[in-house]
Amino acid sequence: MKLAQLLALPATLISAVLAIPEYSEHLHLRPLPNGYLYAGFNFTASTSLSAYESQHFRYFPRSLGQILKHSGTRELHLRFALGRWDDESWGSRPRDGKREGGTGVEIWAWLDSGGGKPAVEERWSSLVNSLSGLFCASLNFIDGTKTTRPVLSFEPEGMHRGGGGGMELLHGTLPHEVVCTENLTPFLKLLPCKGKAGISSLLDGHKVFDANWQTMSIDVRPVCHVGEECRLEIQQTVDIVLDIERSMRPRNDPIPRPRPVEELECDESKSYHASDTCYPRRKEGEMAWSLSKIFGTPVRGSCHVADGDESHDISLEVSRDRAVEVLQGGSNETLVSHGQSQHVRAIRLSDTAKHTDISLPQQIIQEAPHQEQPPLYASRQITGFGQERGGMHTVLHNPHTYPQRIVYLESLPWFLRPYMHTLKVLSHPTTSHNQPATPVKPDKMFYTPALDRERGTHLELLLTIPAQSTVELTYDFDKAILRYTEYPPDANRGFDVAPAIIRVLPPNSNSTAGNEKTQDSYLRTTSLLLPLPTPDFSMPYNVIILTSTVIALGFGSIFNLLVRRFVLAEEVPRSAVAVRVAWVVGKVRGVVGGLKGRMRVGGEGGGGGGTVVGFGGAADVRGGMNGGSGGAEGRKER
Amino acid sequence: MALSARLLTLRNSPVLLKLPPYLSALCIVIGIAWFFILPLNEYSRQTYVSENAILPGQVHTYFGGSEHNVFRAYRQEVYQLSQFSETDRLAALEKVLREIGLKVAAQPYHFTVAGEEVKGTNVYGVLQGPRADATEAMVLMAAWRNFEGEINYSGLALALTLARYFKRWSIWSKDIILLIPADSTYGPEAWVSAYHSTSPDITATRNVSSLPIKAGALQATVALDYPVGPWGHRFDKLDILYDGINGALPNLDLLNTAVAIASGQMGIGCTIHGMLSHSDSYRDRLTTLAKGVVTQSAGQATGPHSAFVPYHVDAITLKTVGDGWHDEMSLGRTTESLFRSINNLLEHLHQSFFFYILLNANRFASIGNYLPAAMLLAGSFTVTALALWVQSGQVAVGPATKMEGTEKNGAQPELEVVKIGDAVALVPAATTKPAEREMLLPAAVVLAVHLASFLPLYSLNSLHRQHLPTALQTTIATSLLLPALASTALTRRSQISTQQIQIMQSFSLLLLGTSLATLATLNFSLAFVVGVLASPLSFVRPLPRGTTTGFPAVLGRVGREYRYALQVAMNLIATLLYAVASPPVVLYALCWYFSQDVGGLLLEMAKGWSVQGVYTSFVIWAVWWPAWVVGGIALCRGGGER
Repeated sequence: MKLAQLLALPATLISAVLAIPEYSEHLHLRPLPNGYLYAGFNFTASTSLSAYESQHFRYFPRSLGQILKHSGTRELHLRFALGRWDDESWGSRPRDGKREGGTGVEIWAWLDSGGGKPAVEERWSSLVNSLSGLFCASLNFIDGTKTTRPVLSFEPEGMHRGGGGGMELLHGTLPHEVVCTENLTPFLKLLPCKGKAGISSLLDGHKVFDANWQTMSIDVRPVCHVGEECRLEIQQTVDIVLDIERSMRPRNDPIPRPRPVEELECDESKSYHASDTCYPRRKEGEMAWSLSKIFGTPVRGSCHVADGDESHDISLEVSRDRAVEVLQGGSNETLVSHGQSQHVRAIRLSDTAKHTDISLPQQIIQEAPHQEQPPLYASRQITGFGQERGGMHTVLHNPHTYPQRIVYLESLPWFLRPYMHTLKVLSHPTTSHNQPATPVKPDKMFYTPALDRERGTHLELLLTIPAQSTVELTYDFDKAILRYTEYPPDANRGFDVAPAIIRVLPPNSNSTAGNEKTQDSYLRTTSLLLPLPTPDFSMPYNVIILTSTVIALGFGSIFNLLVRRFVLAEEVPRSAVAVRVAWVVGKVRGVVGGLKGRMRVGGEGGGGGGTVVGFGGAADVRGGMNGGSGGAEGRKER
Repeated sequence: MALSARLLTLRNSPVLLKLPPYLSALCIVIGIAWFFILPLNEYSRQTYVSENAILPGQVHTYFGGSEHNVFRAYRQEVYQLSQFSETDRLAALEKVLREIGLKVAAQPYHFTVAGEEVKGTNVYGVLQGPRADATEAMVLMAAWRNFEGEINYSGLALALTLARYFKRWSIWSKDIILLIPADSTYGPEAWVSAYHSTSPDITATRNVSSLPIKAGALQATVALDYPVGPWGHRFDKLDILYDGINGALPNLDLLNTAVAIASGQMGIGCTIHGMLSHSDSYRDRLTTLAKGVVTQSAGQATGPHSAFVPYHVDAITLKTVGDGWHDEMSLGRTTESLFRSINNLLEHLHQSFFFYILLNANRFASIGNYLPAAMLLAGSFTVTALALWVQSGQVAVGPATKMEGTEKNGAQPELEVVKIGDAVALVPAATTKPAEREMLLPAAVVLAVHLASFLPLYSLNSLHRQHLPTALQTTIATSLLLPALASTALTRRSQISTQQIQIMQSFSLLLLGTSLATLATLNFSLAFVVGVLASPLSFVRPLPRGTTTGFPAVLGRVGREYRYALQVAMNLIATLLYAVASPPVVLYALCWYFSQDVGGLLLEMAKGWSVQGVYTSFVIWAVWWPAWVVGGIALCRGGGER
C-alpha cells in the first residue's frame, strides 16, 4: 500500500460527501523498522475566496489570512524541519516529500507580480517579516542574499485564476534556524482547537522535538472544485518519526541508564555467555506501544467542529495480524481493519469520550512489513580542507530499473563561489564496478551567479539519472573572505549551506514502464557546514598584528639604510650581463640590418641603428640598478 | 636625516664590523639557555580550560552497571575475532556494528612504501545523532592494532560498548563515528585523507578508496588504546598522546578537558610522554619538555590520532599505562564524559592554544615563552650572513701593509689629507675600500648544492627498504667528500675569490636563517633542534693555510716554532668537528643514542614522507644539508691568498 494513496484516503472520503467540510484533521500512524514510529498529522481548513476577500474567517486563521492578503501572496509554502529521514531503513518519504523542508526553515511563495521587481521584493520582504513575527522564527533574515527564483523545481499546487499568470515564485531558506517549541506553539494556535482537543492534543513540544525527524509545514493555496466557488485552503502538517523506546521512557526519568542486569537480553548461544558476560541480543518482533505512552497523553476529546466532517481521525497502518486495542472513554475494543485496505485500520474519535488511546502489545509478526523503495537516494558533502577552497560532492543513486528525470536545485550563499567549469556529472552503473564512469549531460541548466553581498548562487539542473546507477555531481569552489563585521558571534562554527532540493519528475506519459508514479516527488539532502577563514577575534591577535606592522616598518627602513650603497648614477659600472646582452643585441641588429640592407639595394646604417638601441638597453639596466636611491642627493659614499 | 647620516657613519665603525661573530655566539648561547629556563614556574603556566562551552566533568556519567557485562562479552567477541581470517573478521565487525544500529561501511586502502606493501581495511560506523543535522561529527577510534602492534582487545570492546550505550541517548548534537582502522598509522591516515579529499587520486604508491558514508565536519577525535586481552588488566594511569604529524598539535582545550575529566572527575592520574612518575620537579619537567621536543621534531605519527591533526581535527589518544586499580569502566566513563564535553561545543575548538610545550599534564609553556629560543638560533645565522655580506663588500687596501699593521700593537692609524674646496682635514686613512660584489658564481653554487640535496632526499625516501642503510652510508661518504672536491674544483677552475666565498656563505646562512625562522612558527621543536645542530655553521671560515692569518697571537714566540704543526692540528680538529656535525653522521649518532636500528629509522622516515607527508626529512636534506655543504666548501677553500 502506497503511503501517498493512504494519505489521499481522507481526501477521497471527503469528496464522497457532498459538502466539503471547512475543517478536517487526520493522524496517520505507521511503525517503521528498528523500533521507530511515523506519525503524520494533517489539519486542513478552507474558506471561500469571497469570504477571504471580505476578511471573513471561520476556520482559516485570521492572522495568517491578513498577512497573505497584505503581501499579495497567492500561494504559500512554509516548512520547519529538523533531523534526517533515514531512507535506507524507513523507505520512501511520507507525502512524497512534498510536505517536507530542508533542515531549518524554508519558505517559497507565489506573489503577485504587479508593479515590477521592486514591488515584488517589497511584498516578499513584508511577507517574511510578518511571518517571522507570527512564527517566532528568524524568517526576517531571508533577504536578497538568501532568496532565489527557481525555474523548474516548483510548480504551483493550487488552481490560480488566469492559469498562474501574473505571479512570481520566490524561495528562501534558513538552514541554521533551530526549530523548537516556540515555532510549534504559534503553529498550534492557527488550529481551531488550538491543540486542546482532537489529535492536535498529542502535539507536545517535548515529544515532537525529541523525534529523530520532524517537519512542520503550512501550505496555503486556492482550490477549485467543479461547480463550486473556489476556496482558499490551508493545510498544516506535522510529520515526525519517534524512537519508540526513547519516547516510552517515563517523563520523570528520561535518562537512559544501563538496564538492570536481570533485564538484559543476552545471546545465550555465545560460548562465553556467563552471569557476568552478556552479548546483547536484538529484540525480536514488534515493540509494544501506546499513544499515551509515546506522546505522554492520550487524545483528548475530538475536534469535529466543521459541518459535514464525517471522516476518520486516526488511521493506523500495521500488519493484519497485529492486535490493536482502542480505549475510548472507558470502553475497550479491538480494532480490526475494514474497507479496501487490509493494512489500514481507521478510527473516528468519539465526541463524547474524554480520552482515546490506542495500544499495541509486543508481538512477533512473521510477515515482513512492506516498504516502498524511495525514488532516489541522495547525499551531499563538502570535501577538501583548508581555508581557501573546497569542493561539493553530491551522490544521487537511482535504485530503480528505469531512468529518472530530476531537477536538482542548489541555492548557495554568496561567500561560497563555485566554479562552473569544474562542474562534472558522472554516472557509474551500480550493477558492475568495472565499467568506467560516463559523463551525464544536463538537459537544462539554469545558473545565476552570485553577487557579493547582494545575492547568492542559484543553480538548477535538469538531469536524467540512468537506471540502476549512481550519479556523482562535483564542483570546486573558493571560500570568500568576509569583512570582520560580517561574522556571526559563533564565527568558528562555520556557515550553514542550505540543502539541495531534488525534484523527481514523473515519467512521461508515453513511457511504458508500469509501476511508476504519476506524481512528482521531492527529497532534500542534509544541510552542510562551510568553514570559512576566520580571523582570531582575540586581543593578543590584534596586538601581534599591530606590533608586527610597527617592527616591519622600522626594520625595513633601518635595514635599507644599512645595506644600501649610495653612488652617483654616472658611477654605476655597467653590469657584465647588461654589456653582454647589449653586445648580443647589437650584433643581432647588425646582422638583421645587414640582411635588410642587402635586400634593399643600397641600404645602409642598419648596423649603426642597432648599436644605438643596444646602448639604450644598457642605460635602462643602469636605471634599474639605481632603483629607489636614484642618486637624489647625488651623494657619494666615501 | 640626522638619523640616517648617523647610521651611515656607524656602519663603518670597526666595533660594529667585529661584533657579529660575538653577537651570533650570544644568540646561540641565549637560545639554548632559554630552553632550560622554560620549566621554571615563571616561564610556564598552569593549564586552564579556555572554551566555556566545554564544561569538563560537569555531567553525571551513567556508563556502568550492566554495561560492564556487555563490555566483557564484546571483549570475548573481539578475542574470538582475532582468531579469524581478515575477511571474516571484517565481516564480523561490520555485523556487530550493524547490530548496534550504526550505518556501517568499509574502506580498503593500499600503500607501497620503500618496496613494502601496507594494506588493510578500515571499518567504521556512523551513529547519526537523533536530533543532529548531519553538519558536524566526532570520532571515537579504536584501532585493531595499537601503535606498538598489539591487538587492541579492550580498547575496541570498550568503543563498541560505548557506541551501543551512546545510541540510546538523544542528546547528541553531532554524529558519532566509530572508526576501527586496521592499524594505528596508515589506517587512520587513509580514512581521514579520504574523508577530506576532493577527488580520489590513485597513484602507484597510494590507493585509498573513497568513503561511502560521511557525516559533516569532524570536530574532534578520541582514540582508545587499551591492548588488554579477554581476562582484563587494571591500569594505573592514562597516558595522553597528542603529537600530530609534523608537530602539529591539537587544541590545548581538548587535552585539558581530557586531563580535567580523568583526574578531576574520575580520579585517574594523567601522564604525558610516558612519564609514569612525575614529581613536578625541575628535572622531571625538563625531561618531559625534552621528550616533547624530540617527538615533535621527529614529526612522525605517535598514535592513531596523529593523522587527524593536520586536517585541523583536534585529536588525542588515551592510552592506559601501568598497574593500578582503574578498570575499563573508569576509562569508559572518562570517554563518555569527554564526548559529552565535545558535544557541548558550539564552535570548532579555537579558544585555547594550538602552540604549546607541555611540561606536565597540567603545565605548559606557550608560544610566546618558547618561540624566542628557536628565533634566536635562527637569528644567529642571519646575523652572520649579514656580517659576511658587509665584509664581502669591502676589500682591504694594500693587504700586505695591513697585515703588518695589525701586528703592531697600539700603532697610530695612518692618516691622509682630504681637501674639499678651501677646507683641509686630516682623517684616518681607509683600511678598506668598497668592492663590487660578484654574485653570479656564489648564487649558482648555493643553488646547485640545494638542487643536489634532492638526491639524498629522493634516494632515502624512495629506494627499497633493503637499500636504505646503504643509501645512507653512500650519502655520508659523498657528503664528506663533496665539500672538499667542490672547493678544489671551484678554486682551480673558477678561481673563486675570498669575496665570493663570503657571499656564498652569506647566501646559504641567510637561507638557513629564514627557513628556520619560518619553520619555528610551524614546528618549533624541529627548528630548534636543527638550529642547535647547525649552529657551528655560523663560525665556519676558510681554514688558515700556510699563513699567519687567524693564528692566535697569544702563543707568542714558542708557538711560532711549532706554527705549522699547530696549524695542521687545529685544522684537523676543525675539520673533524665539521664532519661530526654533518646531517647523516648526526642521524647515525641519534640511532645509536636511542638504540634504534638505522634501517628501521630510515624506513619509518620514508613511510612518513610518502604516506603522511612528514617534512622532517625535507628539512634535514633540503635545508640543513645544503647549508652544511656550503659551509664545508668555505672551510676547505682555505684562507691562503691567490
